[in-house]
Amino acid sequence: MRFTICAAKPEDCKDIARMIMELAVYEKMPDQVKISHKELERDGFGPNPFYQCLVAEVPEEHKSKDGHTKVGYALFFYTYSTWKGRTVYMEDLYVMPEYRGKGMGKALIATVAKVAKEQHCVRLQFSVLDWNKPSLDFYLSKGAEDLTAKEGWHFLRFHGIALDNLAQEAP
Amino acid sequence: MEFTIRAATLEDCKDISRMILELAEYEKVSDQVKIAQRDLEQDGFSKNPFFHGIIAEVPEHLKSKEGHTKVGYSLYFYTYSSWKGRAVYMEDLYVMPEFRGKGIGKALMSKVSQLGLAAGCTQLNFTVLDWNKSSLDFYLKQGCWDVTSDLGYHCMRCEGDALEHLAQGGL
Repeated sequence: MRFTICAAKPEDCKDIARMIMELAVYEKMPDQVKISHKELERDGFGPNPFYQCLVAEVPEEHKSKDGHTKVGYALFFYTYSTWKGRTVYMEDLYVMPEYRGKGMGKALIATVAKVAKEQHCVRLQFSVLDWNKPSLDFYLSKGAEDLTAKEGWHFLRFHGIALDNLAQEAP
Repeated sequence: MEFTIRAATLEDCKDISRMILELAEYEKVSDQVKIAQRDLEQDGFSKNPFFHGIIAEVPEHLKSKEGHTKVGYSLYFYTYSSWKGRAVYMEDLYVMPEFRGKGIGKALMSKVSQLGLAAGCTQLNFTVLDWNKSSLDFYLKQGCWDVTSDLGYHCMRCEGDALEHLAQGGL
């Protein structure tokens, strides 16, 4: 199936927001999505964007049953390792179910990797839910390492009241 | 103990580099550190910095046994959650052993939270090694939660040959 991978534009944010929700449903946490296309537009397209995004699009004749031609996306941003230097973190990778198995997921992550290398990044990092076997298998087959299993790294987070309380103690 | 917390400057990169190595030794992986002072200068203090730093400094009369007054640091950058929007990631938090237990670590982390909130972030994220009980206890006591244990997210990484190979498949 023909498809293109392009850098997202502000007008893509409604489709990206739609697909973010579809991915959250897949990850069994749809009630966790608190932002809309408005925040995506504000935060992704200013002078200092918080993220970059790629969109996978199919021609009109292959549009989805709901009429969508934007059928996948990868959202990522630049990060830093104090040991290795510039890195990229891929926050989301998603392809609509009816378009899977056609190389789009692979093309999206490969393009993120290509962009990362062009910016002299030495690592591409992301996270996967431990029960998400198809995704884990896909990533491991591409040479990714599971650092939680291998080295014991855990993600920790402050948010809500705990974050407010912590900030109030700043000198 | 008297100390100040302030934004890192270009001149601090030598001390940050020193302390990055000290932290890597504590994490038992000092051979993993591949970047040097000049990488920090280039990547942290150009027009589009990859990270921001804050430094904990003590007055001259309280300097370390080797004569250092810069005794702790935190290195952080802005990230993005496709569910919650703007977030801040704390890559490193370190206080030299002889200056621990005096509130410096907490002050550094609080400052990062304060700066994050001011920038519109709703999360402060970071990682900890599962065997690092003293750090885990410190963080959990401050009110954060372990996203890996609670939700099952694993940290994944592609680097070296795997990243090269992946990038070659990009469009």
